[in-house]
Parts: sequence; structure tokens; C-alpha cells
Amino acid sequence: MDNQRVDMFILSNGKFFESHQVNMIRERLLAIDDSKWVIISTIQFKDPTTSLIVSILAGSLGIDRFLIGDSGLGVGKLLTCGGFGIWTIVDWFQIQKATREKNLEKIQQFLF
Amino acid sequence: MSISRNKLYGIILTACFAGAVWAWLQSSNSMPAYKGLNVCLLKNIFNIPCPSCGSTRSLLLLINGQVAEALYLNPIGFIIATIIFIAPIWVLYDIVFKEKSFLMFYIKLESGIKKPGVAITLIVFILINWIWNIKKGI
Repeated sequence: MDNQRVDMFILSNGKFFESHQVNMIRERLLAIDDSKWVIISTIQFKDPTTSLIVSILAGSLGIDRFLIGDSGLGVGKLLTCGGFGIWTIVDWFQIQKATREKNLEKIQQFLF
Repeated sequence: MSISRNKLYGIILTACFAGAVWAWLQSSNSMPAYKGLNVCLLKNIFNIPCPSCGSTRSLLLLINGQVAEALYLNPIGFIIATIIFIAPIWVLYDIVFKEKSFLMFYIKLESGIKKPGVAITLIVFILINWIWNIKKGI
């Protein structure tokens, strides 16, 4: 893919990934075929800020985990009062990273 | 792949161990400071019970054989009892024999509860249980 497209993608979607992953994504995007641009430019990513807000407001019901697609862990959190309240607090700090990892998983299936 | 085998097994074993220790602390008389201790954020902040408040007491009643009382207190206790007794054994079996049958089951279960019909049924069940919890004033 050409440089301009890749830079445009990184500019608008960089916040959805961990900073140390952005460079790898950039290099993969430069290497792959132009025909994948339509798919890659239309992928919807989960916003880490949204999941942080949901985690603070409804974390003890596990809604944040359901939101990013970890339904199994969400059920676990729901059934245990948010993991005795401890998991809820841990997730206030972990959920943004978890969301970014989910986003990476999502884009990875088109990168390789 | 949504979650790695070792991460899932670590979470399950830690959670079941913590749950067992918690239930023991709540039931034994040797440490009275922990008896009746309430860690639920929702209940402590807003004074409203969450859908799973009372499940520890329900689990303890179930262990004592008082099935009807356990069901009245919180039906979620039954789900937790099933998980806390079966999951560690299954996970340890997998670790010893280097298999991943529990991971496969977890992934199947996860995609199962994402289906709209199943999800709506479970949400309705949780909401009804929540309203019941608030009415009972657990």
C-alpha cells in the first residue's frame, strides 16, 4: 500500500492500538496488497475511552468485559459481584489495554 | 483465538481458590472480623444489592444441605457451586494430561451466549433476579 494511505490510517486509528504496536502495524500495512485497503479502512474498532467509562460506571456488573467481546470473563465478573470488588478496580486500569489488544486481534486477521 | 489456554486456566484456578478462601472466611468462626464482611462496590456505594449479592450465603447454605433456602436467597449460588466444584478438577485434569478440553468448552460456551436468543434470556434472568434481590433486601 502506498505511504500516504498508510499514514492516513495511522493518524486516524493510532489511538485504538498500543503505541509499541503502531510501528508494526504501519510496516505490515506498507507490505500488503492495495486490494485490502477497502476492508482495512472500514473496520470498526472499539474505543478504549468508551470502555474505560463503562468500566467505571458498570464494571461491577461486568458490562465492560461484555462490551469488548470477552463474554466469558464478563459472566465471571457478573456472578461474583465484580470479582469481590477487586477485579472491578483492577479492570479500571486494565480495560484500556485489553480493548487495544482486542483491536489488534481484529486488524491482525487482515494483515497476514 | 480469543484467550490463551494458560491465561484462562490461571484465571479459573485463581478465581476458584479465592472463592473457596472467601467462603471459608465467611463460614468459619476462627476469624470473626471477616464474618459478614461486605465487599460489593454497588452495595457499599449505593446501598442497592447487585444481582449476585447473597450468593456466598446461598453457597454456604447449599453446602449445609439447605437447598430450598439457598434457592430462595439467590439462585446464582447454584451456578457458582457448579463452577467452583467442577472447573478446578477439569482444569487440573487438562494440565496433568496436557489437553485443552476446558478451553474448547469455554470458547464454545462464549460463542453460545453471544447468540441473541440466549443472550436476551440470560439478561432477563439476571434482571428478574436483581429485582427480586432488591425486594428481598439482601
